[in-house]
Parts: sequence; structure tokens; C-alpha cells
Amino acid sequence: MLGFISARQAGLDDPGRLRRAEATRRVLSLELNKDRDVERIHRSGVNTLDIEPVEGRYMLSGGSDGVIVLYDLENLSRKPSYTCKALCSVGRSHPDVHRFSVETVQWYPHDTGMFTSSSFDKTLKIWDTNTLQPADVFHFEGTVYSHHMSPVATKHCLIAVGTKSPKVQLCDLKSGSCSHILQGHRQEVLAVSWSPRHEYVLATASADNRVKLWDVRRASGCLRTLDQHNEEKSKATSEAAGTAHNGRVNGLCYTNDGLHLLTIGTDDRMRLWNSSTGENTLVNYGKVCNESRKGLKFTVSCGCSPEFAFVPYGSTIAVYTVFTGELITMLRGHYSTVDCCVFQPNFQELYSGSKDCNILAWIPALREPVPDDVSEKSLPQQHLNPAYEDAWSSSDDEG
Amino acid sequence: MDQRLAELVEELTTSGEQRLEPGRLKELKNICKSSDEHISHAYHLLMTRLNEDHAEMRFSAFQIMQELFVRSHQFRMLIISNFQEFLELTVGIDHEQPLPPPKEVAQKLRKAAIKSVQDWHEKYGEAYKKLSLGYHFLKQNKKVDFQDVHARTVAERRREEEKQKRLDNIYKEKAKRAEKEMEEMSQEIANALTEMENCFRLLMPDPFDFTANDTELEPNKQMSANEDRPASPLSSRMEVNQSCFGCMDDEQPCCSKDVLLVSQCVRTDRTKELEEKQEKPEQEELDGGSCSEAQSSVPALSDDDYQTFVRNHGLISHKYTLDLEISTEIKVHENEDNTAIINNVMDAHKLLRNKFWPSVQSWIQLFTRAGIDDDRLRCAIDLKNKLETAMKKYKEMNISFKAKKRKVMKALDDDDDEDEDEFVEVPEKEGYEPHIPDHLRKEYGLEPQSPPKAPVGKTSMGTAPLSSRTQLKGNEDELDPTCAAATLKLIRDKLPKLPPPHASDCATTEPAALEEPDSKRRKLEEERAKAPLMPFGLDLHYWGQDQPSAGKILKFTSEHRFWAPSEVEEEVENKEITEMLKTRYITFAGKFEPVKHKCRAPMPDGSLCERQDRIKCPFHGKIIPRDESGIPVNAEDRAREEKMRFEKQAAQPEWRDPEFMREVEAATGVDLGSSKNNGKGGKKKGKKKKYPNLTDLKQQANTSRSRLEKKVFNKGAMKRVVKAMNRVDQRKHEKFANQFNYALN
Repeated sequence: MLGFISARQAGLDDPGRLRRAEATRRVLSLELNKDRDVERIHRSGVNTLDIEPVEGRYMLSGGSDGVIVLYDLENLSRKPSYTCKALCSVGRSHPDVHRFSVETVQWYPHDTGMFTSSSFDKTLKIWDTNTLQPADVFHFEGTVYSHHMSPVATKHCLIAVGTKSPKVQLCDLKSGSCSHILQGHRQEVLAVSWSPRHEYVLATASADNRVKLWDVRRASGCLRTLDQHNEEKSKATSEAAGTAHNGRVNGLCYTNDGLHLLTIGTDDRMRLWNSSTGENTLVNYGKVCNESRKGLKFTVSCGCSPEFAFVPYGSTIAVYTVFTGELITMLRGHYSTVDCCVFQPNFQELYSGSKDCNILAWIPALREPVPDDVSEKSLPQQHLNPAYEDAWSSSDDEG
Repeated sequence: MDQRLAELVEELTTSGEQRLEPGRLKELKNICKSSDEHISHAYHLLMTRLNEDHAEMRFSAFQIMQELFVRSHQFRMLIISNFQEFLELTVGIDHEQPLPPPKEVAQKLRKAAIKSVQDWHEKYGEAYKKLSLGYHFLKQNKKVDFQDVHARTVAERRREEEKQKRLDNIYKEKAKRAEKEMEEMSQEIANALTEMENCFRLLMPDPFDFTANDTELEPNKQMSANEDRPASPLSSRMEVNQSCFGCMDDEQPCCSKDVLLVSQCVRTDRTKELEEKQEKPEQEELDGGSCSEAQSSVPALSDDDYQTFVRNHGLISHKYTLDLEISTEIKVHENEDNTAIINNVMDAHKLLRNKFWPSVQSWIQLFTRAGIDDDRLRCAIDLKNKLETAMKKYKEMNISFKAKKRKVMKALDDDDDEDEDEFVEVPEKEGYEPHIPDHLRKEYGLEPQSPPKAPVGKTSMGTAPLSSRTQLKGNEDELDPTCAAATLKLIRDKLPKLPPPHASDCATTEPAALEEPDSKRRKLEEERAKAPLMPFGLDLHYWGQDQPSAGKILKFTSEHRFWAPSEVEEEVENKEITEMLKTRYITFAGKFEPVKHKCRAPMPDGSLCERQDRIKCPFHGKIIPRDESGIPVNAEDRAREEKMRFEKQAAQPEWRDPEFMREVEAATGVDLGSSKNNGKGGKKKGKKKKYPNLTDLKQQANTSRSRLEKKVFNKGAMKRVVKAMNRVDQRKHEKFANQFNYALN
């Protein structure tokens, strides 16, 4: 650390390097912290989380009972312990609450005044954050598994929606209607994701084992169908040709630079694809336990030098390095299946939602006091909590 | 120290006790106290113990954990790092992974675990985040009520729910079936009920209907009563209890009618004497009764009036008392008029009782069990009520059938002279030939049957004065064309008729046999009884006949013009077939005699072998006579046994004495195979329970079913069966190898 700082001072290093190193260290030390808590509002499983990209301060969560809660993550109290407060919520008593499970919530990428939510009640709602009223409601024929809005788009305002029907629908917020339909999948579309690099490129994952990349300007067909065997005929049987997984593909995530795409399927595999060529990079992540019947929300870190992927793995969260596929650690804390996790890039925090109704905050551990630091303060601090003390009885024969 | 730790953990967890042994626990704690490494070692040991599928083991492990948890931060960290699994194993939060048996201990474990989680949460909740998360998880998601005595988790509840659901589904299915059945059957039931109801109405108009049709009821009844009397006067007279209709005469005064009318449907019990002097005294009495009735109803009458009343009616006193015993019973007698109806009622009742009522009962049971509470259940209950009322009514009717008695009655009737005439005059039906009386035989152009030679025929003519009743009955039977006796008689009658010249001879065959001396006949019968019953066969068919063509096979010469065998032997005699026609195989199995003796060979434990084999005991060889202590009686047997024992000992080298071996093994700790040497001893040793203090879970599963399963699904047995079946299959293939569908594999 000191070395990095001195190198930075001397101008020997790239300015980003210190940041990257520190971010990596912090990500690697993520743990369940007793000082950080998230208010318990949800009475049923948490399906989806989203942190707004503008400030990284507000987090949305959608529950399987249709409730949407907005949290403030910033700790302004100057105390180490902090409970993330729920600022407002669309509760069961709200007139416009989703009737069934909320599958995806997403902030409007450029402003916190608006967010979107889609649900199993076959609707996609556009909400005004300040009044907490829906500004617009899109109705679909099937249950909505996932929707996504491009984080980089400047020329369009499209929301891609994956529903039970095999057609991907594009809703234009400008006109308030469904403008496109992308046909190509054969079964329900479980996950959609816009590329963070090209504003017209969309990736969709479906239950027919396929992942397709689309250029939404070209409605005639998809750009590319990802093939797990890289189109080597010999390896693929005829029905497996052009499939990304040997099971339903229910998770999609671009890396932050948009150059790579991670997919996860019910064949308990995760694959990393080159998003420009559609090539399977054949990184082996091992078994990634995935029994979800709907979309699974996982995330990648941002600004670390090897990037990390945080993937729900049963009731734990597995942390992999994206490009080598190494399993770094398993974050244990939930008591039931984890459905989603989201990464807060500014403070390298991870939030995860699970079926056990909890949202857990995974906070980087504080740096251990260096031994030669004469820190009289920290030592008693350590033993301040009597719960950490051992309670062996003093005499030997007492035991 | 590690080894000692492992030993301690094992000893503590396999004790099977509800409380930990304090001495060992103290030692364990002391070891754990010494360093963190020991704590983590203990943690892993305890976790493996907690993973065992035995609630007692888990409970003990949990108790140790409890002790360590409150003492060591390190241990707490370890436990909490894997708190999910800990909860799964102690509270059983995963409904697919319930706590292991025995059940009571599992329940105790759960209770203790929940309680301690609560305590821990109170004490360490803020410090250990995951602990509080786990606590909240239990509280909110698994809905564990920490106050609940039973401490049932949601998982448990869900298990029960699932079970309930499955049961419900089954019941629903059954109910559906029952509903369909009910739909089909209700029409039938309704039909049967109406039929029965109608029959009841015919048999007995509703007694409580007389407000409606009082006027027609009375004469109706009376008529039926009067009809009843002449029809079977004797039978009715024989009845001690006579119906009131019977004694209601026309001469009865109108005032007395009231009294009787009330009870006309019900039967009055009368004494026999009363009935004997039916004419006058009854009249008197009835009058008296009516008088007293009048008296009570009109109390304003003066004494004078009584006097005159008594005198006017020629009574001695007006203080007659008349006891009327009115039984509320109804009794319907079967007679010619209502036979059909009664038969119908009986059939319907039988149908109701045997078929409809049980099925309706089962429907109701099914519906209630399935929790169906709508029209279906109501409908079923209605049906049941209807059925029950009908059955009750039937019971109340007290129908007395004549059934079997009918014949006797008729026979008795015959004794009466006037009835006899009637009987003779009955016109004969065509095609049915009853016995023709002698005096009419001429008209029919038949020879008169000689009365002494045919005693069978004479009774119906009435000329036979003193025939026994049984004989009479038999004859009556013969008169009934549907009886077997009649057919027999017909045959008997025809037999003499058919060959007219031998008529007299033939007619005597039967009677002659009867007339033959008793001794001869008895002898014949005895022989017949002795003669075995043989199945009929070809040998019997050709018994005593010579069959020249038997066993000869005729071969026809080919009539083909060109193709012909070179030489044809036209007749081939097959001896086997000839034999076959004359042989009979009789298997004689003999009689089973239970074995009475026992093997009685001395056993190693001092007792005698109890096996009762016929010839050879599978353990001790041929069964030989032995004395009380199991020593063979015969000298040679004794010698042989002695020799055997000696040989056995010789086969085993002396230094391999099993006891010595065991000692050596115990001393050196090397297995020298002493257990193998002595089969029995080894087995016993291997079977010794590993942890004798724990409840044996397998013991509980030791039911007859499991034992059978062990036998039937035994690997060796399975293999044997498969082999045998394969062999059978193989044989079939060999046999039919030329057929394509067998030849294929």
C-alpha cells in the first residue's frame, strides 16, 4: 500500500494503478459486516436489486410479493455501524403495486428520477421516483422475466423485455409503445442485456439453450447466435448446434468494458464469450450450481485488475475471477437460495438478495492494524465487545 | 492429545445418555482450552458426529457444542461460519432432510437447539452477524415460534401438509368414484325402495292413516280377515295368537266395535280358553268391556241406570274387568294371496341389506373423510335414511314366512275329508303327468297298479288311511311338478310303462330290492362304501373287452400317381398305445405321519438338538437313538461319534487353540485369524454392536417384512432366481430355435 502511494507520488505509476490495486484488495476482503445492515422490509424473497449508476447511492429491490423498496446506501452518520434505511417503498397497500412477483427493477441509467420494474403480472411499469407513481405501464401477453435499458444509449430509449413468449419486445419510452419485436428464439426469454459498449447491440438468453446477439437496427434477424462449440461441427450434435449451454440459459452479464459476455445456464455452467466475435473463450469455472427456474441476476466487479464475477450459488455467492475462472471464495450468509446480487463500484460493496427475505451487504473488511503501529486505540476496540471474549473458567478442575 | 480428544468425543457422543458425563466433559474442555487448534479439531470432530444419522449422537454432539459455544470465541466463529448446516442438522430446517430417528430424541434435540439459538442470539446476537441472521431466518422464514412448546418448524409443518395433501388427493379421487357409483346406483336404490314401499302398502295399509281412509279400511280389513279364515282354518287355529280380525264377528255390538277398532290393526293377545268358547262368553265379555268403557266415559250416570243397564243386558254384574293386552307388534302372515308380495319384499330387503346399505355407508364414510360437505353427502345421507327406514319397516312387519312349512300345511290339509275332494277334482294339466289314481286308471287306458306292489302311489288317493306324515309329505312333493321328487316319480312311473311285457317285473325291481333281505342289502352297501371312487378312463371304457384294432396304426398308401414311398407297411402295431389303453396308474401317497422323535444330539451349550427331522438332521447327521443326555444308545454309534470328534480336533493344530490365539492377538494387536478359525466365535464378535449404549436404529426396523426382504432380496437368492429363469428361457430357445421369434435372441 505504502509502496503504491509512494510510486504514485513519484509519478512512477499509472494513476489508475493504485486505485485498481486497492479496489482489488477490497473486493477480495469482502465479508459480512456486523456494522452494515439493510433494513428488513421484504416479507418474501428478494428477486432483484439495482443500484443507480449516477451516484451509486440508492438501491432498488424487488420482492417476490410485488413490493419494491428504495434504500439509501450512503452512511452519513459518521459512525461505523449503519443500517441502510428504506427511503420509500411500493408496498402491498400501494394502488399501483405489482400484483405478482417483481422480477427486475432498473434505474433509468441517466437520472434517479425514474425507474422501471417488470413483474410476473405481465406488466412493465415506468415509475416516477419522486411521486412513486407509475408514469407508464406496458402490458404483455406473458409473464415478464427480465427487462433491460441500455446504459450507454444516447440515440434511443428502448427497453428490451424478455417474456414468456419467444419474441423479444422492445418498448420505446419516447412513444410509449412497443416498437420492435425480435424473433428468433424458440422458447421463453429469461434474460436480456444491452451491451455497455455499443448502444444498439442487445444480448438475449432463452430457455431454448441459446444466446443471441442482436443489432436492433436490423430487425430481420440476429447478429449472432453464440455456440458453445465455436461452430466446430464435430463436437456438436445436430440439436445442440448453435446452443450456448446444455440447459436453459437464465443469466447474462456483460463485463464493464462490454468486450465480454458471461452467461449462466441450468447445466450448471458459466461461460465467457467474446462479445464482438461471439467466440466461446472456454474459461472453465467449474460447476456453478444453478437451479433457478427464472432469470438469475449476477454481476461483475468494476475497476479491479483481475475482474471478479459474483454469482449466486445455491445459498452462497461464489466469487470467480472472470478471465481465469478461478473460484476465489464463497460468501456464506444467506439461509436460502440467493437470487440476485449487485456490485456497488464506488465503495466495492456487494449487495445480495435471497429467498430468505434478507438483503445482505458485503463490505470490505477493514485493514488489519499493522503490528508495528502503536495503536492503543484499536486494541481495546477489538475487545470492546464482551461477546468476543472467551469464557473459560479460571480453575483447571472447573473446566 | 488429539487422539484423546477424538476418543473423548466418541465416548461422549456414543453414550446414548440424555446428560453428558461430567468427568469426560471436563477433560474435553480442558483440552479445548489449551489451544485454538484443539478447538477447531474438536469442532470438526463434533460436526462429523452431528452429521451422523442418529438423533442420540446428534443430541450429545449438540450438547458438547453448547458447552463449548459459550466458552470459546474461536468455537463460536467456527460454528457461525457454518451456521446453515448447523441449523439443518439440529433444527431440521430443510424439509427434505428431516432429523433422524429415534423420534423422541430428535424432538428433544430440536427443542434444545431452538432454545439455545435464542439464548445465543440474546447474548451474542450483535457481535455475530450471521447468528442474528440465522435467528431472524428461523423466526421469520421458518416461522419457528420460539415460545412454542412443540417447536415445530415450517419444514415439519410442510412435511405434514404434504402428507395431508397426498391423503386428500386420494380421498378426493375415491370420493369422485363413489359419486359416480352413487349416480348409477341411486336409480336402482330408488326403484328398490319404491318397490318395497308398494309392497308394504299392499301388505298392510298404513295403520296410522285411518283418519284419511277410515271408512274403507274397516270393511277391507274385516274382509281380509274373513277370507283368511276359511282359506286356512286349521293353520289359523293352530296359531295361538290370533289376529283380532279373526275374532271380530258380525254379531258384535256396535259399541264394542269402537274398542276393537282402535286395536284392529294391532293384534290382541287372547288366551286360549277365551278362544275356545268363542261364541257366547266372548260376546259377554266384550259387552262388559264396552260397558266399562262407557262407564268411564260417562261418569254422570246414576246407580239406577247401572242397575237397569246390567239387567237389560242380562249381566250379573257390571264390574267385569277386561284385560286387553295390546301389543304394538304387527305380524303379517304369509298366505296364498300375498306370497308374491312377500317374496318381493324379501328380495328387495335382501338387496337393500346386502348391497345398497353397505355401499351407501361406504360412500358416506368416503365423503366425510374427503371433507366433502355438499349435496353429495346430503344425498348419500338421505339415501341411507331411506334405506334404514325401509329396513326398519320391514323388521316391524314381522313377516312370518311359511317358506318350508308350506308343504306340510298342504299335507295336513289333505287329511281333512272335504279338502280331499277338492284335491281330486283339480284338473290335470297337459304334459305333466302326476300320479293317476287307480280308479281313474281305466279311463286313461292304463293297467291298474297293484296297490301292494306300488305303495308309493297310494297315498294321494286318500284310501290309505294311516300313512305317516313324512310319507305324506313325500307324496305331496311328488305332486309338485317342480320338485325333484316329482321327476323321480315320473321316471319311476315311466319305467314300468315303457316295456309293457316286463312291467310287472320291472315294477318290482325297486320294491324287490327293498323287499330283499336286509342283510344282503347292507352288505352291498358296505361294499359300495369300501369301493374306491375312480375317475373314468379309457381303460374302464374298454373294461374286459378285447380290442383287436387297439394300438394299430393304419397307414394309407399314397394315392399320388408319381410320388410314392417305396414300400408301405400298411399296418403298424404300436405296443405302447395298446398298453396305454389298458393301463391305469394309481398313485398311492400313503398317509402323513408326523415325526415324533427329536435329533437330541448334544449341543455346545449343553442342551439337546430339538430338530425333528425324519431321517437325517442337517447338523448332526443321521438320527440315532440317544439317551437323556444325548449319548447314543448303540455302541457303534457312540464309537463313530467319538472318532469324528477326534478327527476334528486332529485337523486343527494344537497351537492354534482359539483361546490361546485370542490371547496372543489381544497382547500383540495383530490379527492372526483366530476369529476366522472358529466360525461361530468370529461371527459373534463381528456382530457385536459398535456402540451398545445408543438406541439401535436397525432394531426398530426389524419387522417381519424387513426380515423377509432380507431373505428375498438377498443377492445370492436373486442371482439364483435369475439364473434359473435364464435357464428356463434358454431351454425354450433351444426348443423353438427354428422359429424366428425365438431364434432372434
